[in-house]
Amino acid sequence: MLKVSNLTHQVSLETDTLTILQGVSLEINRGESVAIVGRSGSGKTTLLGLLAGLDTPTEGTVELDGAVISKLSEDERAKLRAQRVGFVFQSFQLLPALTALENVMLPLELGGVESPGKKARELLERVGLGERLNHTPRQLSGGEQQRVAIARAFASDPVVLFADEPTGNLDNRTGQAVSDLLMALNREQGTTLVMVTHDERLARRCARQFNIEAGVLSEPNVQRVAEPVS
Amino acid sequence: MAASRKLMSIRRDWRERDVRVVLAALMIAVATVATIALFASQLQRTLVTSASSFLAADRQLEAENGRPIPERWLDEARNRQLETGEMVEFSTMVFGADNFQLVAIKAVSNEYPLRGQIEYQREPGQPRELVSQGPAPGEVWINPRLLRLLDIEVGDSLEVGNLQLTVSGLLVREPDGGFRLSALAPRVMMHVDDVQATEVIQEGSRVEFVYLFAGEEASLESYYQWLEPQLEPSHEWEGVRDGETFSRSLQRAESFLLLGGSLAVMLAAVAVAVASRQYALSQRDTVALLKTLGVRSRGIGNLYLKRLGLWGLAGAAGGLAIALPLYWLMSRILSDVLEREVDYQLDPAALAPALLTALVALFAFAYPPIRRLRNVPAMRVLRSQPGESGREALPDMVIAVLAVFGLVWMYAGDVSLVLALLGGLALLLGTLALLGWLMVLSLRKISGGGNAWRLALVGLYRHRRASLSQMAVFAMTLMLAATLILVRTSLLADWQAQLPEDTPNHFLINIAPDMVDDIDDFWQERGQPLDTLYPMVRGRLTGLNGDPVREAVTKDEGVGALNRELNLTWMDSLPADNEIVEGEWFAPDQTTGVSVEAELAGRLGLQVGDRLTFTIGSEKVTEPITSIRTVQWDSMKPNFYMAFPPGGGLEAMPATWITSFYLPGANKSALNEFSRQYPTVSVLEIDHIIQRIQDIVQQVTQAIEAILALILAAALVVMAAVVSATLRDRQREGALLRTLGGRQSLLVRSTMLEFALLGLFAGILGVVAAEAAVWALQFRMFEGQFQWHWAVVLPIPVFSAIVLALFGRWQLRPVLSVSPMLLLRRLE
Ligand SMILES: Nc1ncnc2c1ncn2[C@@H]1O[C@H](COP(=O)(O)OP(=O)(O)OP(=O)(O)O)[C@@H](O)[C@H]1O
Ligand SMILES: [Mg+2]
Repeated sequence: MLKVSNLTHQVSLETDTLTILQGVSLEINRGESVAIVGRSGSGKTTLLGLLAGLDTPTEGTVELDGAVISKLSEDERAKLRAQRVGFVFQSFQLLPALTALENVMLPLELGGVESPGKKARELLERVGLGERLNHTPRQLSGGEQQRVAIARAFASDPVVLFADEPTGNLDNRTGQAVSDLLMALNREQGTTLVMVTHDERLARRCARQFNIEAGVLSEPNVQRVAEPVS
Repeated sequence: MAASRKLMSIRRDWRERDVRVVLAALMIAVATVATIALFASQLQRTLVTSASSFLAADRQLEAENGRPIPERWLDEARNRQLETGEMVEFSTMVFGADNFQLVAIKAVSNEYPLRGQIEYQREPGQPRELVSQGPAPGEVWINPRLLRLLDIEVGDSLEVGNLQLTVSGLLVREPDGGFRLSALAPRVMMHVDDVQATEVIQEGSRVEFVYLFAGEEASLESYYQWLEPQLEPSHEWEGVRDGETFSRSLQRAESFLLLGGSLAVMLAAVAVAVASRQYALSQRDTVALLKTLGVRSRGIGNLYLKRLGLWGLAGAAGGLAIALPLYWLMSRILSDVLEREVDYQLDPAALAPALLTALVALFAFAYPPIRRLRNVPAMRVLRSQPGESGREALPDMVIAVLAVFGLVWMYAGDVSLVLALLGGLALLLGTLALLGWLMVLSLRKISGGGNAWRLALVGLYRHRRASLSQMAVFAMTLMLAATLILVRTSLLADWQAQLPEDTPNHFLINIAPDMVDDIDDFWQERGQPLDTLYPMVRGRLTGLNGDPVREAVTKDEGVGALNRELNLTWMDSLPADNEIVEGEWFAPDQTTGVSVEAELAGRLGLQVGDRLTFTIGSEKVTEPITSIRTVQWDSMKPNFYMAFPPGGGLEAMPATWITSFYLPGANKSALNEFSRQYPTVSVLEIDHIIQRIQDIVQQVTQAIEAILALILAAALVVMAAVVSATLRDRQREGALLRTLGGRQSLLVRSTMLEFALLGLFAGILGVVAAEAAVWALQFRMFEGQFQWHWAVVLPIPVFSAIVLALFGRWQLRPVLSVSPMLLLRRLE
């Protein structure tokens, strides 16, 4: 499903080049759930972006559902994203001028779905925002915005969902609900789930966990990661 | 130290995009208004000087009563630092060796001409020279035709009254060669000091003393203030602006410049307002943060006031740094066109509006939203910021808009201009509100379906708030530009119509009745047919409704016309360019009644039905007024104050005939033949004057085009500023759409379509509002000469749609060139 080999990502700054990811390789099967943990600045968001085809790596390949992302044209990548990929951003990335409903409708409209409003409403109801359809992001709390972002990511029925700290801004109870939502999707619809999280409990619910440190990925054994929460 | 910290803070500000936009808008505002105002004031001075040479001075004082003015009047003028000159004009017979001829003498003092130059020729066939002084005492310069008529040569002597004078040159053109029908005979120019010795001027002879004045406008004005109470009815004070032939063109050029400047003021205000308001709204978060950090409201207010002040200074300095070289360049070009030096003068009256506009717009639009924020409790400020609601901002906006219109008023000094623009604007905003409402109604139902059209419409609906306010600014900008284009087009068309290529440039006067047909044939044969020939009888208006007219007419100003002999005529059909404003034109076989020119009727207070008595020689003719008609004095055709029907009482009077016609320069030699064949007919050559007017119109046209170009450039900048105000939001949206899988081409097409629609609507609105404003303007500023020019304005919406679509495309550029991930990171 997702096959990454020897991925290296560098950005050139004014004076030198910064290596953000180095020799990352991994393989994720269809329907798996995967958690990536690591310190702030270790390269998690960068890796997720590369996996989702939002960026192209400096070296190495990402193969998503049989297609090598770096070999696709920009429009083919867009098509791939539209049809197979959902993404929940760390900073939500909702459009401030649009209502919650309109934000969720966006990917549906792009995909040419006939009645985008209906499906978007259903999704928002599912994340518990059925009463807030016509509120703009500014009128929503951080957690509510997070849920709108998740609803949007699910809108296009993705094969694989990338979530960058999906519970980062939520209190325990809401965080739990969002985790349940994600896991349920993974279970019921077989959506592959790749998420970055600091939430140990959520990480433990995933089938596999990866650790990233200074751009180097490792997969420690399950027992070591699953230490009790303090 | 403090100063350097302030500089530091400006430098830090400069890194913020919103601040850069504000500063750029300020600079452009100051630069545009200052350049136009400086250039307009320059052009005005230049025009007045060009036109002054038509009077050979800035002002003329004519004494039509045959007596010189008191010497102390001239002393007073010289005390006020005015240059003065004198002329005496009269008709008399001059004698050569064998022949004599009636001539029009113009005796001039050494100072003549104060403005312009005399074109003179030493001998026939010699090159023409421009000189700044008339003939010396003892000499005369004569019209070249006199050589033939008197059969003399340069160097021979000429007898004027009791004085022998030497012909020392030929007078080709005098700068004040305006034409008066009283001066039809060939011209002889002599020195004023010789007049006494000729003994031609006796008590009661018809002679006109003319005094010339030149100097600073203010001194001229104050001198006139001093002089006016002492003037008698027979004294006439003439300035360039009062002259009949050129004043209309000049006034319109001035009006246009004023309008251009006013529109520049408004455009500049719009640019600064949009930019500074955008900045103010973006500062809300910062203000909130400062409040939570414990900075008190007043402190925040002062902080921003100081900042805005600093930017005002920086923007003004930057704007002037652009405007001054630009103005210098334009005055260079102008002096090339005019083939003479023009002064480079920084008129403070022209600079003030530029600086004031920038400052007023800056403070009026940027400060109120910030000030209002001081009142928000810190707690609420901490929460995410809902954008300012329109209702809160409305009073401030109204005040700011009024302030800007106040500026226009101050600048143009014309209430009707302000009202016309304000009315156009109100119409525009009203229509826009309606349109917005319709848009919400009709677009609500559309939901996008992967196709660029639907996405564009959805975009319009979703961004309706931003779209409508952007549309308002675009429409306003386009309205201003369209107004100027409209005014320019009809101005130029009007000028063209006024002096077409074949404007009559020669008059034939003093044609005896039995020669009329022969002369008509003469020119017909040479392919230069004459315009209509009119009979002309000279007479005075002496009675009104049975009373002597001097008692009956109470209006002071009318009396001047009564002292002069009027040209009376009879005609069966109304000349094409005349228009009846009251009463009716003569019926086909009507032989009674008289038609009076409208201005004269107004001055004398005449009404249809009044009975006028004319004294012609020793005869009297009395007729009722049957119509009042307007006359195109600058048509270069014979025009008459009084017209009678054919077969009326006038036909019994001794008449001569008059006509005008167009004679191209190449055929001028036909005139010699004509003069030889018909020596008694006077030929008045005004081709030089017409050429001058056409040259001036040409120059003014170029200046107008330059100003139009500047305004249009400013309009484009305003539109770019407005588009860039939402740049960040648009780019974020573009980036997000891409991450969500939107294809680039779809994104490009829908964005361009959305902007094109915006531009189209704004264009239509702007054009309609412009037509309304022009419709209102036509009454006052431009004398109701306007037509609708749909062909001129219709391309504007198309143009604005294309330009905005390109702006939209340009906005997307970074969105398309960078990977979505990087883009989102950058826009964070
Ligand atoms: N385009 C870029 N230019 C410069 N530096 C970059 C760029 N992209 C990423 N970085 C740097 O690379 C490092 C990794 O960034 P990344 O966003 O992947 O971290 P992260 O693991 O998601 O951190 P966090 O948990 O705080 O979100 C950071 O130090 C970041 O500043
Ligand atoms: Mg991150």
